[in-house]
Amino acid sequence: MGEFTLKAEPFLDRYERDFGSVSIKELHQQAIVSFAIPNGCETKAEKTLNKVFGVACPKVGNSVLSKDGSARLMRLGADQLFCLLSNQQDTHSAHLVMNQKFGQDIYTTDQSDVWVCVEVSGTQTRKALERICAIDLHPDHFTIASIARTTMEHLGTIILRSAENTYVLLSASSSANSFLHALETSVENTM
Amino acid sequence: MIINHPLLGPRDASEFVYLGDESLINRPDPNSEDADDRFYEYGYLRDNPAGDLRELWYHEQGDRSWLVVTRNTLTHEITSVEMARDVAKAKGRDK
Repeated sequence: MGEFTLKAEPFLDRYERDFGSVSIKELHQQAIVSFAIPNGCETKAEKTLNKVFGVACPKVGNSVLSKDGSARLMRLGADQLFCLLSNQQDTHSAHLVMNQKFGQDIYTTDQSDVWVCVEVSGTQTRKALERICAIDLHPDHFTIASIARTTMEHLGTIILRSAENTYVLLSASSSANSFLHALETSVENTM
Repeated sequence: MIINHPLLGPRDASEFVYLGDESLINRPDPNSEDADDRFYEYGYLRDNPAGDLRELWYHEQGDRSWLVVTRNTLTHEITSVEMARDVAKAKGRDK
């Protein structure tokens, strides 16, 4: 039997395109780990997260960068967070590392292959996104570091506002190209 | 229709899936003597009020939480939204 190794490729082939005042870029080498908080262990889990990441656990609908800036914690619900880690050579080992740190306080699962990660930035970004996003993206309401799990063009999406005019979007990797098409179309329609 | 999620704020009804009467939280005890009758009622019998109805909605395209939504079946006005886990715990359930 021949010896070979399989190497995962980015879902959108490292897509990057400027549309003038809006840029779309696939973020690859992102490890995504889901944290599930056991029923009734919320306080204990929040203390563990504080100890491991050096920051207070965010409230539902918010995110926070770890003290060393290497991880972003996104609180999706009362008992679930996603952890986004950038520049990971081996995206699949991240959840094992976390698992060792958490013990039984928090359950982890590797989500890296489940989601395509896209960054949309530029001054006209909100104009393009608000056409296809089901939530209110007004800057007074959806402030920097806010996150939401919602839909864009009927596709399930997690949206993070990472900077003034920059948004990070996660959607199912199995429909990555449809999601990109929806984004491109909306950007082109608002140019 | 907008559902005012207790944790996330106003969300469009398209993000949710409707299940039905809130009474589905009250699953009968399968070990009770009248379990057959209770499960028949649980599975098939529903009130159909013209007015306020407490319903279970699932936030599938959101935080995956179950909500108890009080909705007027005549006007569609929503007067109350609660986390189903809180409602269940208030009834003595552990989750």
